[in-house]
Amino acid sequence: MKFSDILKNNIELGNALTGNEFKIAVLSNVITNQINPILEYYLRKEAVFAKCESGNYDNIVQEAQKYKEKDLILIVWELSNLIDGLQYRADLLSEKEIDDLIIRFKNEINHVFLELKNTSSIIVTKFSTMIFNHHLIKKNNFDKICDELNEYLVKSTPTNCLLIDVDKIFSKISVLKSVDFRNYYSSKSLYTVDFYCELSKIISPFIFSIKGKAKKALILDCDNTLWKGIVGEDGPEGIKMSSKDSNGVVFEEIQYLIKSLSRKGVIIGINSKNNADDVLDIFNNHKEMSLLTSDLSIQKINWKDKVTNLQDISNELNIGIDSIVFMDDSDFEINMVEQYLPNVKSIQVPKHIYLYPDYFRQNINLFFNNTLLKEDFNRQQMYQEQVLRDENKSQFENIEDYIKSLQLNMSFYIDNSKIVSRIAQLTQKTNQFNLTTIRYTENDIRALIEDSNSLVYAFGLKDKYGDFGITGVSIVKLFRNKAKIDSFLMSCRVLGRNIENKFLQLILEHLKSLKIVEVNATYIKTQKNIQVENFFNQIGFVEISNSNSTKNYKGILKNLLNNDLKYIKVTYEK
Amino acid sequence: MASVFEIPVEDINDDSSTNSIENWDSLRHMNLITVLEEEFGIRFNDEQIIEMLNFEQVINNTNKVLNDK
Repeated sequence: MKFSDILKNNIELGNALTGNEFKIAVLSNVITNQINPILEYYLRKEAVFAKCESGNYDNIVQEAQKYKEKDLILIVWELSNLIDGLQYRADLLSEKEIDDLIIRFKNEINHVFLELKNTSSIIVTKFSTMIFNHHLIKKNNFDKICDELNEYLVKSTPTNCLLIDVDKIFSKISVLKSVDFRNYYSSKSLYTVDFYCELSKIISPFIFSIKGKAKKALILDCDNTLWKGIVGEDGPEGIKMSSKDSNGVVFEEIQYLIKSLSRKGVIIGINSKNNADDVLDIFNNHKEMSLLTSDLSIQKINWKDKVTNLQDISNELNIGIDSIVFMDDSDFEINMVEQYLPNVKSIQVPKHIYLYPDYFRQNINLFFNNTLLKEDFNRQQMYQEQVLRDENKSQFENIEDYIKSLQLNMSFYIDNSKIVSRIAQLTQKTNQFNLTTIRYTENDIRALIEDSNSLVYAFGLKDKYGDFGITGVSIVKLFRNKAKIDSFLMSCRVLGRNIENKFLQLILEHLKSLKIVEVNATYIKTQKNIQVENFFNQIGFVEISNSNSTKNYKGILKNLLNNDLKYIKVTYEK
Repeated sequence: MASVFEIPVEDINDDSSTNSIENWDSLRHMNLITVLEEEFGIRFNDEQIIEMLNFEQVINNTNKVLNDK
């Protein structure tokens, strides 16, 4: 299906549906916004009024806290972007660095699951190296990290969480159709619409099951559906359903597949135009039958039309007509059921009979039943806490404690000419956490550093796992005892650690030492920086004007100072 | 374009641009590119994508890539 049709139909379905929304948040460390309308569409067309939104990019741990009340959290964790460019950096990392990285992300996995322990449902995609490593014969470090993290994911997955193996999508539709390298290198958007469609198809049965929309019954025709041939014409000897016969082999497989569905609690029934005695004789006496009457919950073997039979089945079993799947080989019967009972899922046996088992398997997920209930959560929580203890890792009550545990160390730079190129680069590349989005060249920055009425601040950041380098910049201009924040920005890599607040505090303290009394600031809206539109409000600045795209602020310096965030250590660089 | 930006078709005209259509943000821009590439079986390069911030440039660049095909 074309993306444009999905978008169009999704809007129409959204307008037609009413009632409670099923709220989904998609958290990812790559840009995945295109999945939102696609997943909505696959759910809405089965009358689940889904509403998807994306969490802030590359902030899974913190965003988990923000969205934990949603009905479903989908986490798409892309291995190559765990740290910038892991796919090419991994082989040059030392063993120690790799171990540290693995520990860091095991910790993040723990925190996400702990944060979401009361969330109704979670879906997490497993890590994969297929995109970058499918050419390789031998495993490399990237594979090693992937294997260890996946093993850990499997071990620590709580009962409210389902893991999705994305490698299955890559092998089904190919890696090249699953990823768009142009969009990856230009905007960290890695996956294609085709990939999202496949992922949505895998996820939706899980959601249908949560919403009580999983199919409950499989109702089958007999001739050329359960066996090859027509019992009324070919007789018991003429019909085939055994692997010993080339015409029957496929039907033996089908009968086994149906039998295993029955073991999993799916209701199996017969809806056949035949003499009842002929068919029952086959079930009871034919030596090659695998499916037995004991596997069947209901039989409608008569000369009535199949629509009436299906309605009767629905009434007698007291299940909704929309929880029935009907399978038949005949165009006529399938069309009739589709026309009169559109809520029944009709499946036609493929004309090429060798495709039948594969086609059957493609539809097995219709019966997916998520038996894991919220009641299991206590057990899950105990298990999770045990995992944490086993790993001998500290537990954190909240995000604040987690941030404290990171042992953040900030280096603070003022007018430092050694880092001019990095400062210029940050002003040019940073889009999201950037209050004014003013771009500067290296020469501009050099001139600002030399100008006694301008101050160029920057910070670098380390935590116990590693060094992020220089990741934030602010430019302040002075007019007598007033200061104006011309630029304030930082890389998204270090978001969610209260670093921005600490950085601003350090700047304000420095301005105080220069006898500055009043500080002015500006927010200029762009297509990408909505997330910081209230940053200055939160700090305590007063909004003095607000036009379409620009907000101007004023603050009295001494009122803006605070002494929080002591856990972020500061090194003042020369 | 109407489906991409979730607005009525009548609201789109020759003067439409990222400035006049509020929903035309960077993420929906990517959707627009995807839809055009899928519809016409074409592929834009990075520079062309960045240029296409108004209706006129969308038409121009689509025609250009179609002609080069």
